[in-house]
Amino acid sequence: MNEQHVVIAEESYTTTSDAERAAQLAKVWAEPSGFLGWFKAVHHTTIGKRYMVTAFGFFLAAGLLAGAMRLQLAFPEAHIMSPDLYNQVFTMHGSVMMFLFAVPMMFEALSVYFVPLMVGTRNIAFPRLNAFSYYLFLFAGLMLFAFFFVNSGPDRGWFSYVPLSGPDYAPGKRADIWAQLITFTEISGLCVAVEVIVTVFKLRAPGMSLNRIPIFVWGEVVTSFMVIFAMPGVVVASTMLLLDRTASTQFFNPAVGGDVLLFQHLFWWFGHPEVYIIFIPGTAIVSTIAATFSRRHVFGYMALVLSLIATGFIAFGLWVHHMFATGIPQMSEGFFTAASMMIAIPAGTQIFCWLATILTGKVVLKTPMWWVLGFFFVFIIGGMTGIFVASVPVDLQVHDTYFVVAHFHYVLIGGAVFPMFGAFAYWFPKLTGRMLSEMLGLWSFWLFTIGFNITFFPMHILGLRGMPRRVYTYPADAGWTALNQIESVGYIFLFLGVAVFLYNVWHSLRRGEMAPANPWQAGGLEWATASPPATYNFLNMPTVNGSEPLWDALPDQPVVSGMHEDVREIVTTRILDAEPEGRDEMPGPTAWPFIAAVVTTALFIGSIFRPIAVSIGAIPLAIALIGWFWPTREESQRRARRNIWEQS
Amino acid sequence: MSFRSREFFAFALLVSLCACKREQRIFDPGSAASQPAGATPLTEVGAGTSPPPGNRPNAIAESAYAVGEGKRLYQAYNCVGCHANGGGAIGPALMDSEWIYGSSLEQIHSTIVQGRPNGMPSFAGKIPDYQVWEIAAYVRSMSGQLPSDVAPSRSDHMPMVVPEQSRPKEHPGAEHPQPVITEPQR
Repeated sequence: MNEQHVVIAEESYTTTSDAERAAQLAKVWAEPSGFLGWFKAVHHTTIGKRYMVTAFGFFLAAGLLAGAMRLQLAFPEAHIMSPDLYNQVFTMHGSVMMFLFAVPMMFEALSVYFVPLMVGTRNIAFPRLNAFSYYLFLFAGLMLFAFFFVNSGPDRGWFSYVPLSGPDYAPGKRADIWAQLITFTEISGLCVAVEVIVTVFKLRAPGMSLNRIPIFVWGEVVTSFMVIFAMPGVVVASTMLLLDRTASTQFFNPAVGGDVLLFQHLFWWFGHPEVYIIFIPGTAIVSTIAATFSRRHVFGYMALVLSLIATGFIAFGLWVHHMFATGIPQMSEGFFTAASMMIAIPAGTQIFCWLATILTGKVVLKTPMWWVLGFFFVFIIGGMTGIFVASVPVDLQVHDTYFVVAHFHYVLIGGAVFPMFGAFAYWFPKLTGRMLSEMLGLWSFWLFTIGFNITFFPMHILGLRGMPRRVYTYPADAGWTALNQIESVGYIFLFLGVAVFLYNVWHSLRRGEMAPANPWQAGGLEWATASPPATYNFLNMPTVNGSEPLWDALPDQPVVSGMHEDVREIVTTRILDAEPEGRDEMPGPTAWPFIAAVVTTALFIGSIFRPIAVSIGAIPLAIALIGWFWPTREESQRRARRNIWEQS
Repeated sequence: MSFRSREFFAFALLVSLCACKREQRIFDPGSAASQPAGATPLTEVGAGTSPPPGNRPNAIAESAYAVGEGKRLYQAYNCVGCHANGGGAIGPALMDSEWIYGSSLEQIHSTIVQGRPNGMPSFAGKIPDYQVWEIAAYVRSMSGQLPSDVAPSRSDHMPMVVPEQSRPKEHPGAEHPQPVITEPQR
């Protein structure tokens, strides 16, 4: 295994010219400093870190809301919370976890930070759009919690079905706030999807042909395409809901030819792929960690990539299995049961590839690997109960009971949160330049895993005994008390597990051991640069010779030369074989994306109260966008000089 | 650090300032049987009647939930039977600006509780008091006397226009039966 032959990390400058070049690049790619500089930052590592911290903050907030629910349900006939507050709390928990934590963390945060590093380029494509998407995401969360604290939190469940959320049955502004939260977060997701696709297809390091793209990057690309096809569905649904409620349209009103089920179709057209949008990055993380800690290339690279793509396709063919209880025709029920079962094929392929990787490798059991093993255990149980609920007769029995709650917590926490903690343990040295404590990492892993199973396993039994989801309390003689109390005790373990993780991070940031560039001897390009990476990512832009670039590098692996280093220049390559194609220039820091995001936020929040806010808000938004895209003379001239066809 | 915490407190203050009563919900106003709307003695009849001694729950007229409940109760207690959906039929219209017995919340409350001549029965002892207040608030909302973010939205069952799908089937000339060609032409 070769180490750092490809790219010269900062520690290993050999010549004075390298140090001079590093200083020059650092000057060109510098992020603005100071208070105002905070709003101008456009580098993907800066924005990616903000994404991670913000999304994790929302994870903690939604976790505390879950604690409030467990406290309420720990005793029968409890009145710690009013039924109204409980409705808001479970809706907030679900909406925040899905829209403000799971997708932003698994897709946006991780891909913004790691995809450009893994494909060996200097910044993500469309960096200003990237900053814009982050601010929209941040403002969405702030808006939601601000409204929650003034007793206006959404209270119709995280999927806010009509007619319950429609104009006739949802008084006040709560459902409107939910609808605009969706619009915010989905626009932000769509922005990142476009950036990731362009980054991966046009900005890969020379030599990184399609069959050498790291699995994690493949996962994020498949996710991006899914985002592009899925998210418009929910944006349309939430906007139609908002129009029905504020502008007297009748999309969902059956009395005048609207359709209530249309909302469910549009929502689950997004909502089911959403589960895979969360889960595919998780599996891609598992593939990455399993390969690194088994000390071998991942088994069945091609099979893994194809099953990611297959999952992406099949995910769009099974949304109706969320609607088995709505009285749809039996033919559709049969079709969507079969389609739901079919997703087990790519999932199974992946699991067997991971098992083969681990069984034939020399496993090093570090914390990230423990999280991967925990993922296997939890996620496979979730997959098993998935087969239960994919079959119509069983689903009709357990629909809207705690059995379903148990199922989706096993797949979502197993499929996303376990890989996420694994990813933190794995990439923390790269993010911060410091190592996490192994011992504390194991403590948090075991506390979390045990707590998770104590909390969520009894829910299967509760659901089979008939406890419906979303009830704020239950009678003492229903026979549900003991199991509910066990679950609430499990929450304490979960809480401690996350608390130990937070302490670990805090402690390591202050006194952690300094991390070398490649502490795990891994093969990905992100390990070829310093920890944490400089703002120009790589001193020499790398070339690639295999799917694990550092393991497969030749002893004299070439680097890219001939770049202008006095501007933010990057190499563009061809889609299939990543042959170098040209050079392009990245835009620099600016505050316009922040201003545009503030204006968009005002427009969206205003439209909750007055539809005219869209028309009025369009004016400052247009001004912000004009400022954003205002060309500068030198930049245009440089662009013209690079274009060899126009010169002749 | 101090800068950040100051910013945070400013934000928290801002948030608490805009706290609104619109979303307040009262879920346990007492059981329906224990607090029936009491019949206050009838005095004189006219718009100038003094409001009943104040047990008016202030929150109701400002709570979107309470007004929404009032809308549902307006149907449930068959106010629709005489007043239709506000347009008036046997009883007077409620969505215009003419008020025979007063337009304030208290006055509408007494109208419902006491009854009025020429057909309005007294609902004293028949409807729990908090529900009378909710209905009264909804009645006010019909003539636009409540803020628009408190007033309930349209009802799904009341179409404002005839939808395209519910038009009677038309028979344009081209739909008349055409001669059927039995043998293929050669």
